[in-house]
Amino acid sequence: MAIQRALPADGDQPDRWEAQLRKGAVEMAALASLWQGRLYGLEIIRFLESQSQLALAEGTIYPILNRLKAEGMLTSEWVEAEAGHPRKYYSLTDAGRQRLRQMAEAWTSFSRGLSHLLESVLQQQEKIQ
Amino acid sequence: MTTETQIDNYLTALRLHLGPLTIAEREEIVLEIGAHIRDSAEQTGASIETVLARLGPAEELAAQYRDGLLIRQASRSLSPLVLLRATLRLATKGLSGIVVFFLAIFGYLMGGGLVLTGLIKPIFPANTGVWFNDDQLVSSGTLFPAPAPPAHEILGMWYIPIALMLGSLTLLLTTFLIRRSLRISQQLQSKL
Repeated sequence: MAIQRALPADGDQPDRWEAQLRKGAVEMAALASLWQGRLYGLEIIRFLESQSQLALAEGTIYPILNRLKAEGMLTSEWVEAEAGHPRKYYSLTDAGRQRLRQMAEAWTSFSRGLSHLLESVLQQQEKIQ
Repeated sequence: MTTETQIDNYLTALRLHLGPLTIAEREEIVLEIGAHIRDSAEQTGASIETVLARLGPAEELAAQYRDGLLIRQASRSLSPLVLLRATLRLATKGLSGIVVFFLAIFGYLMGGGLVLTGLIKPIFPANTGVWFNDDQLVSSGTLFPAPAPPAHEILGMWYIPIALMLGSLTLLLTTFLIRRSLRISQQLQSKL
């Protein structure tokens, strides 16, 4: 039995939808990467790659960190490193922690609701396969 | 070209395109991206070309910082010029940006027009108002010549407070909607 596609025969529609979904989560993911302590830009990129499925274009994270700092969610400090050049480390501020908590709660409750909604869809798909 | 020259060229281009930011901000960004390039090459063993390709063109990276600044300033501003400039930039990024831009233009024209006609009414009382013919709206605003009978103006001097109030409300709503759209757009602009 063939599964009918809900979307038009435009192959990249689901990809674009997924990209939008991920884009909306980048800010939360960047904040979450700093929950345990300070990190510098490249460490944040590597952390997100290893801990989530968010493979960012490398240049993307820095303007986001810059904006979050301007909004008072993050602070930064330059630390001399063995590499021979200083690195800019980011930490969460109290406001950043509070925002991340709110985002995490909203995300969890939203995804729980949707998972419940989609349970029957996935079960039906398993039966079809 | 040596590795250091490649890095210098990239950072010089980045600095050049970061124009509108303050010197301190610019230099901090250049220092941070320079550290990223060196760390990334060192830690992954990738060539400088690969690291720079992963970062994307300096102009595009700088544009993300500039857009962030423009939208940040605009999302706190009340100036229609600053807000329109930011929505114009948003319009270059996709369909939703174009919709916001045209809604902004429409809102400002509509609100500004209403306020203007409210102010003009005391000067040209016979030419400004809302005209009906029976139950049908004929026209509204400031018109030269005014619609001829049997169309008649229904608001009289009440037109002034009503137009000023509706116009101000439209301008406020437009400002609020633009600022809200700019804030949302900031969270969705990141490239994956």
